[in-house]
Amino acid sequence: MTTPHVPRPLAFEHIPLGRHASQPFSLEVPAHHTVAVLGDEDSGVGLLGSYALGLDRPAAGRALVFDTDIGALDEAERLAFRRRVGYLPAGEGLLQNLSLRDNVALPLRFGSGASPQEIEGRVNVMLTAVRLAAVGQLRPAQANEEERRRAALARAIAFDPTLLVLEQPFDGLTARVASELLELARGGESAEGARRTIFITGQEIPSLLLRRVEQVYRLTRAGLLEPETV
Amino acid sequence: MRAATQLTAAGRAVALRIGINQVRFTALHAVGLVTLLSGILSFLVISQATRELGRIGATDLIGTLIVVAIVRELGPLITALVVAGRSGTAIAAELATNQVLGEVRALEAMGIDPKQYLVLPRFGGSLVSMFALLVVFDLVAVLAGYGATSLNGMSGGRYFAIVLTSLSARDVWLTVLKALAFGIIVGVVPSYFGLAVRRAPTEIPIAASRAVVSAIVGIFLCSALFVALG
Repeated sequence: MTTPHVPRPLAFEHIPLGRHASQPFSLEVPAHHTVAVLGDEDSGVGLLGSYALGLDRPAAGRALVFDTDIGALDEAERLAFRRRVGYLPAGEGLLQNLSLRDNVALPLRFGSGASPQEIEGRVNVMLTAVRLAAVGQLRPAQANEEERRRAALARAIAFDPTLLVLEQPFDGLTARVASELLELARGGESAEGARRTIFITGQEIPSLLLRRVEQVYRLTRAGLLEPETV
Repeated sequence: MRAATQLTAAGRAVALRIGINQVRFTALHAVGLVTLLSGILSFLVISQATRELGRIGATDLIGTLIVVAIVRELGPLITALVVAGRSGTAIAAELATNQVLGEVRALEAMGIDPKQYLVLPRFGGSLVSMFALLVVFDLVAVLAGYGATSLNGMSGGRYFAIVLTSLSARDVWLTVLKALAFGIIVGVVPSYFGLAVRRAPTEIPIAASRAVVSAIVGIFLCSALFVALG
């Protein structure tokens, strides 16, 4: 009897990153793990999220999500596939002319066949989970950074994805809030670890969170991926 | 069209709401301006023409002048210029801002086609607005022409009889076709220039300017093409 093939949640294979990198970037994110890759802007760490989602194409190598190169799919397939991945971009990417509530509802309205009542119910649950129920009607410009980040996370997990890609998710937040958001992102615990697989990129991560992150790497300007000492 | 058919029920509701807002801004808010331009233009042209044509006993040509020059040619042209000037710049600037703020990438990352969410409602709104404003323009032009001729001694009955005699089904269809063509130009050209912006805020006014100039050139070329083919 053969073991069924379990697709890898996220893998980067031989991707050139950064101007000064002497070797291509490769990394596999195991299922149910939270993995962080940190580095300064020159390291090219900020490109990893968009490569994973197929928003940009690397000059060489490939990024695979569930063993699929999203960037190689045709447009309709690419859009549909991205709904399987939660993504919190750097700068949140909230739509400024929508309320926080409508921002959270937007992917469900366009990407699910759910009825308006079901969507409203799901949005209520999400807003309560991220503690935004009282300020859901605010526009992003009226909300503070913490509220915007909470809304962006709620939007990222709207489809309850098994993989989350978070870019600079904790910048500007207190360690307490960052810790709370990471727990929300993990989505609870399973026998194998966190319910969701999480890939975090950024420049730094609060030290309080390090015990909840299975692997932390530092990407140097030279392109070396070094395990961060906790 | 394909983008429209792929929308979910909740997505259609969102797109419809954006489209209605677009019509409110593009058509409803421009009614005053179109009424003013149409009324003054028609009054001036028909006043002068009534006097001059009266001298040679050819006042019946007023009908041709109203139908061909104002309803069929200047009506669609001026209406399209108003829509392009007011809403074309707004559409281009809005989409360019969406692009600069990373909202377009965020939509793509969520699995939402920006054409469905951003372009389709504005395109539909521009088409509907163009038709609605053209009806307003032509009605006001005919009424202002009546005012001008009555001041020059022509009875209302005779004026409307001349106008109706001069109006053929071909004039109506040509006017409708022009509204359709100009509506497409005003909906598509600014959207293209708005979404072509990359990441710099300084590109926003450039995109708005290019969009309105290109739309105006397109409208004039299209108008000339109608005359050449008609």
